[in-house]
Amino acid sequence: MRDIRKFDARPKLDGSWKFLDDITYEGMIYGQLLYSTCHHGIIKKIQFPKDFELNEFTIVSAKDIVGKNLVPEPEPDQPFMAEDKVSHFGQIILGIAHPSKRTLISFIKQIQIDYQELPAITDIEECLENEDNVFGREIIIDHRREIELESNWIHSHEIYYTPHQEHAYMEPQGIISIWNPADRKMFVKATCQCPYFVKHAVEAIMGKAINEAVIETSEGIGGAFGGKEDFPNVLAGITSLLAYKSGKPVKIMLDRADDFKITTNRHPSRIELHTYTDPATKKIMKLNVDYRLDAGAYQTLSPVVLSRGVLHASGGYNIPDVYIRGRLFRSNTPSNGAFRGFGVPQALAAIEAHADKIASQLNMDPYDFRKTNIFKVGNEFPSTQKITENHLEECLDRVVQKSDYRKKLQEFKEWNVAHKDKKGIGISMGYHGGGYTGNGEKILNSKIKIIIEKDAKVKIFVSSTDMGQGAHTTLAQMFFEAIKHPREKCWVQLPNTSKTPDSGPTVASRTIYIIGTMLQKFALKIKDEMGFTNLEEYVASHQSDFPREFQIKFTPDPTVSFDDNNFRGTAYKDYSWAACVSEIYYHADTYQIELKKIWNVLDIGHPVNLKIAEGQVEGGNIQAMGYALTEFFYKKDFGRMQGFTDYSIPLSLDIPEIDIEFIHTDSDVAKGLGEIPMDYPAPAIRNAFHNAAGIFINEYPLTPERIFKQISSPKNHRI
Amino acid sequence: MKINFILNKEAVSIDVDPMKRLLDVLREDFGLMGSKEGCGEGECGLCTVIYDNKPVTSCILNAIHADNKEILTAEGVAEEPLGKLLIECFDETNAVQCGICFPGFLVSSYHYLLTDGEPVLEKIKTALSGNICRCTGYKKIFESVLLACQRKKSGEA
Repeated sequence: MRDIRKFDARPKLDGSWKFLDDITYEGMIYGQLLYSTCHHGIIKKIQFPKDFELNEFTIVSAKDIVGKNLVPEPEPDQPFMAEDKVSHFGQIILGIAHPSKRTLISFIKQIQIDYQELPAITDIEECLENEDNVFGREIIIDHRREIELESNWIHSHEIYYTPHQEHAYMEPQGIISIWNPADRKMFVKATCQCPYFVKHAVEAIMGKAINEAVIETSEGIGGAFGGKEDFPNVLAGITSLLAYKSGKPVKIMLDRADDFKITTNRHPSRIELHTYTDPATKKIMKLNVDYRLDAGAYQTLSPVVLSRGVLHASGGYNIPDVYIRGRLFRSNTPSNGAFRGFGVPQALAAIEAHADKIASQLNMDPYDFRKTNIFKVGNEFPSTQKITENHLEECLDRVVQKSDYRKKLQEFKEWNVAHKDKKGIGISMGYHGGGYTGNGEKILNSKIKIIIEKDAKVKIFVSSTDMGQGAHTTLAQMFFEAIKHPREKCWVQLPNTSKTPDSGPTVASRTIYIIGTMLQKFALKIKDEMGFTNLEEYVASHQSDFPREFQIKFTPDPTVSFDDNNFRGTAYKDYSWAACVSEIYYHADTYQIELKKIWNVLDIGHPVNLKIAEGQVEGGNIQAMGYALTEFFYKKDFGRMQGFTDYSIPLSLDIPEIDIEFIHTDSDVAKGLGEIPMDYPAPAIRNAFHNAAGIFINEYPLTPERIFKQISSPKNHRI
Repeated sequence: MKINFILNKEAVSIDVDPMKRLLDVLREDFGLMGSKEGCGEGECGLCTVIYDNKPVTSCILNAIHADNKEILTAEGVAEEPLGKLLIECFDETNAVQCGICFPGFLVSSYHYLLTDGEPVLEKIKTALSGNICRCTGYKKIFESVLLACQRKKSGEA
């Protein structure tokens, strides 16, 4: 747990680190996407403006696709480009390129498309309330026991809603494609999380036209948070088609407004909970969850978001009888995709609010209620996976203790009686399974390549990308710390699919947990096998053996098995645990919630680099704060989204105090960290507002408008 | 149109469309890639430069606004003693994540250090309120600038 400094911090600060838009190739031209502004319809006519030389432009449509018009991963149901019909706002119709950006922009602005409009589902409510819109596979987790309902059990029924959330990575999406007819290779420079997804997509759209696509990431990837998991597949496909047709390198950088309008977002959810609680024991006896996600127009990776969501839907509670039903709903908005948390922030938005709801019905403190119902060693998840450690409860106890929760609760109660403004404090807790769900890691079968040079320099080849989370610093650190090798002799190489094996996508809080652990184990293994105490000395005295290349493969744990059909078994080998307390100040005159402080206690196992780990928690907390308080997408009118003017993410003046403590840091395992700090804070903020003002709101964000509406018409939960 | 200005302490002259965005002039005509485009509407602060002694987003200025003015970009700030101090503090705290917003933060914090520099959190927050960061939650950015202010004050730098 040493604070190694990040190797890329200084060049990022002085501007010398290259992000995608900082790269130019000789003869490069610029591309843009023409996308549908109609939510659902048939394309009748595309009319180009007259005062341009059409032959100066390279234009591609679905008709130019040599291979298949289908993005192959994750779920192969989304076309790269619309053919005759558009299924959502933002669906790409044409890719257009020209040497001058300015000419390109004015040309595209003047293109007119006539549609025959068809009925469209654009409102989250309309999408999620109508069961006719279900598509894809339904998931059931059936953990029902034959328990008879007692008439005095308290029935709590609520429906919770969460909205779209935009990733708002500061670097918009972009791709550069270069076609080389000599070796029939398409070279793609990408700001992305999953180079191999991009490779498969480009090879799918180009078909027989190319022999191979080679994907290399830019040095800098300006934030991703899940947003650069699947959209780059589409963008790289179309950019490559333009490069192929024009014979020139093509760069497409989305501008902020287009990035907001057409790329993926967090899935809106509607989660309906029924619980029955025994008033004598204060224990929840029965839980029924109806978990619905708005997938957008295509499934893409929604099925896996759904599976993670339902597996986290019952929270940290030991409930004897649980039935969870998960479904995807279709709408005519852009496909929703991966976003840090991946279905868990929605799950916790419901169950953690619901815990406070039941506690208030029982007239019980939310902490005491959680203590009564939290799962213990020997209990099981609804998937029947056994609980093997009580670290969640330790996190909860510790965060309550260090935030002075009980004392503050009392103080605020007294303060609130005498003041119109209110103070409040709220709790939440949660967990996040590390790595792919179920058998996912087994199927992924990640590979790593290592080269040890003659000068004992270790080169690590992984397809995991560093998008700011510090993966390449931390991965190298796990290797060189394991065998006490000098830091300057151990480097992760820039991901390039012609040199780096497929170590899987950079998602699912799996990079340190899966790939890092593989590196660490490998370092110890060669130390043992070669019998050295100092790798430099060993290489110096065995020069003829070097340079030497090693291939490492993921070894699945044979005790881990999961039944994908019935959702039973070990869904995740290791869970990270966390609990949170948040303190707010409610300005009654302006209906504004001011977040004062967040306390986090987490068990992520061994934090490899403490400051990098803290940075993940701080960043996740603040994204969750935006989710809870300000971030809001126009439901019916995506076309209105322009950027940060109308989508409000937290700014420096909004930032609360953040307190972080990691427990069980002496563990051998470095567990998943990236997502969990986004999962749990939003419900703690909502619960703190409930504590302050006594107002129960079922939907994020808790904007002044929503609070005002709730106060003026208590029955109408929705805006 | 010919435009003359001082760029990173050097007198420069360029023949350019006066309506071209200053950001594009810096990136395309001078190859200064430290100023990034995050929104193109003056909201995000990725393209912040010191213009006429104030931190300004260069995406909402045109080339003509630069005429006879003095401009310092992140590259220029990085060469200044206070810029170097800030870079050391950002590096030491592991504050940088994706880093695309950091040249802009460097420029805004440099301006604060130069014009005020009191190690007071609330003042630092205000000085950085024109810069958006989505990765870090800002906490380590505040810590870094606070540290730089303290070091400047105690004469360590």
